[in-house]
Amino acid sequence: MKKDVVSIKGVAGGIYLNVEGNDPEVIKTELESKMKTASNFFKGSRFLGVRGDELSEENRAEILLLLKYKYDFEIQIEKLPEEMVSANYEPNKDLIVSESEVVQEGMTKFVHGTLRSGQEVSYNGNIVVIGDVNPGALLKAKGNIVVLGSLRGVAQAGVGGNRYAVVAAYSLLPTQLRIADYIVRPPEDDIQYKYPEIAKVVDGAVVIEPYLPNK
Amino acid sequence: MAKEKMGTAIVITSGKGGVGKTTTSANIGTGLAKLGYSVVVLDADIGLRNLDVVMGLENRIVYDIVDVVEKNCKLKQALIKDKRHEKLYLLPAAQTKDKTAVKPEQMVELVNELKKSHDYIIIDSPAGIEQGFQYSIAGADRGIIVTTPEISAVRDADRVIGILEANELHDPQLIINRIRPDMVKRGDMMNIDDIIDILAIDLIGIVPDDESIVISTNKGEPVVMDEKALAGKAYRNIVRRITGEEVELLNLEENDESKFSKVLKLIFGK
Repeated sequence: MKKDVVSIKGVAGGIYLNVEGNDPEVIKTELESKMKTASNFFKGSRFLGVRGDELSEENRAEILLLLKYKYDFEIQIEKLPEEMVSANYEPNKDLIVSESEVVQEGMTKFVHGTLRSGQEVSYNGNIVVIGDVNPGALLKAKGNIVVLGSLRGVAQAGVGGNRYAVVAAYSLLPTQLRIADYIVRPPEDDIQYKYPEIAKVVDGAVVIEPYLPNK
Repeated sequence: MAKEKMGTAIVITSGKGGVGKTTTSANIGTGLAKLGYSVVVLDADIGLRNLDVVMGLENRIVYDIVDVVEKNCKLKQALIKDKRHEKLYLLPAAQTKDKTAVKPEQMVELVNELKKSHDYIIIDSPAGIEQGFQYSIAGADRGIIVTTPEISAVRDADRVIGILEANELHDPQLIINRIRPDMVKRGDMMNIDDIIDILAIDLIGIVPDDESIVISTNKGEPVVMDEKALAGKAYRNIVRRITGEEVELLNLEENDESKFSKVLKLIFGK
């Protein structure tokens, strides 16, 4: 895994900010760019604190203040759990959910009704459509897309590069499907399946499969 | 470096909606590519795009004309290569925007850029004479008017010819679409002569009302590729005339050569 100066990690109890290095200027710039792209994504999560082995107490406090006031993070506990503060703490790999992995939660926009040709919904989180998405309509979500109806338009999940985003629909017949940097279109033979399906990236390809195994 | 081409931009327009501009654009574009020319068909109907569907390329769209003029992507990235023809490209319209997204100056720049590397640019104009029509004609060198044998379509065609002339697009050519020979014969439909009499411009082709158009449109395969369909032949003739070849007008009564030649004589006095 590449080491970002600033990264947001999730553990069982919530999320925390991991900081590599100790140059406050570099950290601030990185934090700014990270927050610009990801702050909405983490809103509502339980924020535990800041972690960084090379960080001085002073810098740590400054980052906490930045997060709290500049980026409006709700900091629940201003101190990380005891075991995480020790210098040789290695997070349990099973519990780690880094931001670039599975999209498990986050802000969600609910769209009630049918999206028709020419309509576009773009959201910095997940999108759930309670209705159909017709050809010519466009959905763009940073996270997952779920359509409780027929998806016949274009759906773009994982905008910004998250390959772990998924697209699911009761009837998944999109004109075109995009997940992160993948773009696929349905095969020409146009077979229509009558069960709910989910699309996700597996081993560098977009695969579509039923998500109710018994149907 | 390859020599720069200087292609021709042709706008397909009508004033009235539903007369077959998009079908005509798809068929002329495909027909020209079939003859070996390098062609871009440009959908100028932002917000109500259809050309991509008629050509069966809808699911390949990533960038569109608005992305190009707003410089979100390079022109090349937005051009979609046709499924069947190497030298045929589609520049799709945007569907989630409206006609205010493109200005005539931007269109002129775009079309001039396309003309450098392609022989023909076929611009599918939207219905109406408002903004969308205005930017559609902005970059064109020639105009082709599509009409049907109905008084309302002919009236609108006449209006559009006037506007084209006011915009220095002289000598537009006419396609009369959806002719039903049986009705013309019974005197229930305007005949070609009546239409030419009113519009007084060169006729470049007549296209019969043909079921195969509906089938081909729904399949996303332009009828010009259908060797059996009469409408396909009609479009192939139009395409040849666009390239400067002289082709006789189509015999609309397929299996009735002698009768039709009489009608032809009546209509054209040849």
